[in-house]
Amino acid sequence: MEMYSQAAWLIPLFPLAAFLVLTALGRSFRRAGVFIGSIGSLAAFALSLLIVIDRLGANAVDYNYAFDWIRIGDYTLRIGFEVTNLTAMMLVVVTLVSFLVNVYSAGYMKNDERITVFYGYVALFTFSMLGLVLSDNLLSLYIFWELVGVCSFLLVGFWYSKPKARAAAKKAFIVTRIGDAGLLIGILLLFWYMPNHALDFTTIQSVFDGQTGAITTGITTLIALLIFLGAVGKSGQFPLHVWLPDAMEGPTPISALIHAATMVAAGVFLIARTYDIFQDSAAAMETVAYVGGFTAIFAATVALAQNDIKRILAYSTVSQLGYMMMALGLHSLTGGIFHLFTHAFFKALLFLGAGSIIHAVHTQNINEMGGLGSKMRVTAWTFAIGALALSGIPPFSGFWSKDMILTAALETNPLLFVVGLAGAFCTALYMSRLFFLVFMGKPKSAAAGAHESPATMTFPLIVLAVLAIIAGFVETPWNGWFGSWLSGEPEDAHGSGVVIIASIAVGLLGIYLGWLVYGKGSVSRTVIAERLPWLVKLLERSYYVDELYAAVIVKPLKAIGAALSVFDEYVVGGVVRVAGAATSSVGRLSARLQNGQVQTYSLAAVIGFVIIVVAIVGRRFLP
Amino acid sequence: MYEGVSFIPLTWTDMLYLAPEFTLAAVFLLLIVLDLLLPKSVSRLSIGWLTFAGLLVTLGLVVWRMLDMNKAGAAADAVHLLSNSYRIDDFASLLKIVFLTGTAFIVLLALGSVRDDDAITDRAEYFYLLLPAVIGAMMMSSSGNLVTLYIGLELLSLTSYVLVGMRRKSSLSAEAAFKYLVTGGISSALVLFGMSYLYGVTGSVDLAVIGKALPGALVDFQALVYVGFLFMLAGFGIKIATAPFHAWAPDVYQGAPSPVSAFLAVISKGAALAVIFRIMFNTVLFAVGGEDANVSNDIFFIVLVLAAAAMLVGTTTALRQKNVKRLLALSGVANAGYMLVPIGLSITVVHSSNFSEFIYYLIAYLLMTIGAFAVLSVVSRSAGHEELKGFSGMYYRAPWTAAAMVVFVLSLAGLPVSGGFFGKLFILLGAANAKIYWLAAIIVVSSVISYYFYFGLVRQMFMRSGSDDSDIRVPAATGAVIWLCAAATIALGLFPGPLMEWIDAVFSIRSDLMFQ
Repeated sequence: MEMYSQAAWLIPLFPLAAFLVLTALGRSFRRAGVFIGSIGSLAAFALSLLIVIDRLGANAVDYNYAFDWIRIGDYTLRIGFEVTNLTAMMLVVVTLVSFLVNVYSAGYMKNDERITVFYGYVALFTFSMLGLVLSDNLLSLYIFWELVGVCSFLLVGFWYSKPKARAAAKKAFIVTRIGDAGLLIGILLLFWYMPNHALDFTTIQSVFDGQTGAITTGITTLIALLIFLGAVGKSGQFPLHVWLPDAMEGPTPISALIHAATMVAAGVFLIARTYDIFQDSAAAMETVAYVGGFTAIFAATVALAQNDIKRILAYSTVSQLGYMMMALGLHSLTGGIFHLFTHAFFKALLFLGAGSIIHAVHTQNINEMGGLGSKMRVTAWTFAIGALALSGIPPFSGFWSKDMILTAALETNPLLFVVGLAGAFCTALYMSRLFFLVFMGKPKSAAAGAHESPATMTFPLIVLAVLAIIAGFVETPWNGWFGSWLSGEPEDAHGSGVVIIASIAVGLLGIYLGWLVYGKGSVSRTVIAERLPWLVKLLERSYYVDELYAAVIVKPLKAIGAALSVFDEYVVGGVVRVAGAATSSVGRLSARLQNGQVQTYSLAAVIGFVIIVVAIVGRRFLP
Repeated sequence: MYEGVSFIPLTWTDMLYLAPEFTLAAVFLLLIVLDLLLPKSVSRLSIGWLTFAGLLVTLGLVVWRMLDMNKAGAAADAVHLLSNSYRIDDFASLLKIVFLTGTAFIVLLALGSVRDDDAITDRAEYFYLLLPAVIGAMMMSSSGNLVTLYIGLELLSLTSYVLVGMRRKSSLSAEAAFKYLVTGGISSALVLFGMSYLYGVTGSVDLAVIGKALPGALVDFQALVYVGFLFMLAGFGIKIATAPFHAWAPDVYQGAPSPVSAFLAVISKGAALAVIFRIMFNTVLFAVGGEDANVSNDIFFIVLVLAAAAMLVGTTTALRQKNVKRLLALSGVANAGYMLVPIGLSITVVHSSNFSEFIYYLIAYLLMTIGAFAVLSVVSRSAGHEELKGFSGMYYRAPWTAAAMVVFVLSLAGLPVSGGFFGKLFILLGAANAKIYWLAAIIVVSSVISYYFYFGLVRQMFMRSGSDDSDIRVPAATGAVIWLCAAATIALGLFPGPLMEWIDAVFSIRSDLMFQ
C-alpha cells in the first residue's frame, strides 16, 4: 500500500549526506558542489514524488513511525516521522524547489569563490526543512525549526563581507527569535497540560479534536496564540515582518528557496499541523485571520512604492503569506495550504526570474532597467507567467487559490473579503508596474549590454512556469479534489460567481492601471508623488515600522543594556573575578602538591584521610 | 575455615563457567612461549594481533554466557563457584564486557603507536602483559570474598607496574613505574589492613557472611568496623585516584605509554570502583537500625565526600595544566568522583537505579577517555611532545581527527549530544532523587569549572594556527579506535534509551549484586 511512505525517513538523509560530503571536501572541488548538491536534492525529490503518487488514491492512511528516545522516570520521549497527505505535498514542494534552485545556482553562483560552501549550506537547509516537515511531534519540529533558522542566517549572511548582509542576517535571526521564544513557551505549556505530556501531532489532534475538555479554553487560546507567534516570526507576518525584506541581501536563489517557497511557509505549515488547537479557540482563529488580512493589505501597499526588484517581491511574499494566514483563520485549511502550494511555484519562479535579470544587468533598481523583454525572452515570458499567476488572472494557478481564499472570506467575514480584494488589486498593480518598468520601454543605463542567462538558469524558470500554469487545476470552483485529498473527507466544490468576477475584475483593473502609468505612459507617474508626497514617502519607508522599532525598542534596550553592562562590568564581573581567582588559587595550591615527590603524595593522602576520618567518624565517638 | 560452610572444590561444569578467564590465561601462556621461540627478526606486532584476538574470543564467551544466563529473564540466579568465592552474575559479566572491550581498544591503540616508540624495547610483553592485568580486573568484578578480591587486585597491580615501566629507555617511564609501585604498595597495604579488621570482627572473608555478621559485630566493635572499612576505602581510593589519594596519577600517566595510561584510567579504575560497589552493597548496606544506621550512613557519606573532593580537586588542579596527559589524568580524578556518586548514594525507597547510572557512565567514560588518549597519541607523535600546544591548528591539519576530538571533549565536559552528557545527567538525577542536593550542586559546579580546560583544547585546535603545517598521520589501528569511540559516544548521546533499558532488563539488584 503506502510502501514508499515507510521509507520517507530516507528523504532528508540525501541532502544530509550531500552536506557531509561537501563539508568534507572543503573548498577544493568547485565543480563537485553543483553535482553533489543537485543529486542529493534530486534523489530526495524522486522519492517524495513516489510517495505522493503512491498516496494519490482515495484513502491513503497516515503512516507514523516512532520509537522511544529517552525515558526518564515515568516519562517517555518518543520521536519519529509521520507521512500524511499534507506532509507528502510539502515534501514534493520542498525537494522540487530545492532541486531547481540547486540547478539554477550552478549558473548564478558560478564565479563565487565559496560555491562549495554555498551548496553545503543549501543541502543542510534542505535537510532541516525536510526534517521539519516529517517531524511527528512538536519537539523535533522545534529543533528543525531552529535549524532552518540557522541555515537562513548563514545564507542571508553568505556574502558576509558586505556590512548590509551581515546586518540583515543578524536582524533575521533576532527578529525570528522573538517568534521562536513564543513557540517554545507554547510548546512548554502544551507539554505541561497535555495528558501524559504527549507532544506528538496524533495525540494533540485526538485531545483537541475530541472536545475532551482536558485543556480549558483559556489555556488553549494561550497556547494557540503562542504557536501563532512562532508562525508570525517565521512567516514574516506583521509586526515581525521586518526581517524578510532585509533578508534579500542573501543570494537570489536563496531568496527563492528559503524566503519565498519553503522556510517562510513553515509558519503556515505549523498552524496547519496544529490546526486542531486553533479550531478549539475562536479567539485564536480570529487573531490569525485579522493578522493575516492586515499583513496582506499592508505589505501589498508597501510593495507599490519600492524600487528594488527583490524588495518588491519580498513584500509581495509577506502579503501572500498574509493571505494564507487569513485563509487558515477563516477555517479554510484547504485554501491556506492550496495557496502555499501554488505560491511556492510562482514566487520561486519570480525570484529566480529576478535573479536572472540581476545576473544580466547587475542592479536591483527597477528604474535603471527597461526594455529587457526583447533581450531576455525566456526570462520575460516566464516572468510574465509568474506575474499573472501572482496577480490572480485565470487560468494561472494563483487565481484558483486566491479565489478559494476570497470565497471563504465572503462566506464568513465580508470585511476581510474587501481587504482581500483590495490587496489583490494592489498585487496586480505592483506586479504590472514591475513588469512594465523592467521589460518594456526603452533600455536604460544598466540594461544596455544585457543578454539571456545560461541554460542552467532558464531551465528551472521553464519548469516553474509550467507549474505556475497548471498547479492550480488540482482545485477549481468546480472540482474539490485537492481539499478532499488533503483532509481525507469529501469536500464540496465551492464556486461563487461573484468572487470569480470580482477577483478577475480587480486583477485586470490593476494591470490596466499599471499599463496606463508605466507601460503606455498616458498617466503621469509623478501625479501621486506631487499631490501626496507624504504618502509615497510613507510607503517607501514601509510605514516607518523599522524606524518605530528603532525608537521604541532598540534605543531603550540599548540604554538599558548600557546600564546593565556597567552593572555587569563592576558587580557581576567583580564576583566572577573573585570566584575565578578563588578557583584558580585552589588549583594552584593543589598543583603545588604535585612536586614529583612520592613522599609528599603519600603524606597528603594520609593527612586528607585523617581529616575525613576525624571530621566524620570522630563525631560519633565524642561524648 | 568458615563457620558451617564446607569448602566445595571446582567441578568440570564449574570450569566451563570460568572459560573466559581460562582462555585468557591460556593465550597469555601461549604468547610467552611464542615470544621466546620466535626469532628476533619476526615483528612482535603479530603478538599484538594475537592478544587482540584472544580478547575478542574471551569477550564472545562472556557475552554468550551472559545471554545464556538471562534467557529466563532478569531474575536469573547467579552462579557461585568455590563456596561463593567466585560469582558469575550480570554485575560481573557487564563489567567484564566493559573491561574486555576497553582492553581490546587499548591493544589496537598500542598496535597503532608502538612502531613509533623507540623507548619500548620488549614489544611482545607490552601486548601480552595486558592479559593477566585484565584477568585480574575480571577476578575483582567476580569475587565473592575478600581473598579472591585481593588476588585479583594484586594480579592487576603487579602487571600494571611492569606496563608503566615499559618504555625502558625513558627515565620518565622508570620514575613513573617506581612511583606507581610505591603508591600501589601503600594501597595494597591499606586494603589488606582494612580487610584483616573486617575478618577479625566478623570471622569470615566471605562478603555474604560479613554482611550477615556485621550488625552483631557492631555491638561490640564499632570502632574496629570503622577502621576496617575506612582503610579499605583509602586503599581502593588510591587505585581509583580519588582525592586526596590522587597525586600519583598525573606523574604516572605522564611517564607511561599512552595505551597503558588509558588502561590505568579505564580498566584499573573501573575494577577498583566495581569492588567498592560490590563490598559496600553487600556489607555496609545491611548494617541498619539504631546505632548500626549511623555506621552505615557514615561510610556511605564518606564515599560521597571522597566523590565531591575528587570532582573539585580534579577539576581545579586541571585548570593550570599544560600537559595533555596530566590533564587527562586529572580529568580521570574528577570522573572517578562522578562514578563514586551512585555508589555513595546507597539504595533508598525512591532511588535504586545506582548500578545502571554507574555502568552507563563507566561505558561513556571508557569511550571518551580511550578516544582522547588515541587522539593524543597521534598528535604527540606529530608534535614530538604531549603539551597542549601540540594541538594548535589541528583543525587545519587533520579536520576529521579534530572533529572526533571535539566529540570526546563534549562528552568529557558533559555536553549534548554525547554519552558523557547522559551519563552525567543520570548521575545528577540520581543525586537529586536521593535528595542529596549539595552533591548535585558540586557535580554542576565542577562540570562548569571543567569547561574551561576542556575548551582550552578546542580553542587550540580551531582558533590557533599551528607552528607547523605538517599533516598528522593517523595509523589505521589508531584511526579505528578513534572512530569507533567517537561513533559510540555519539550513539550513546543520541540514543541512551536502548542501553539503559537493556541494563535495567537484565540486571536485578537482588540476584546480581547482593549475596543475601
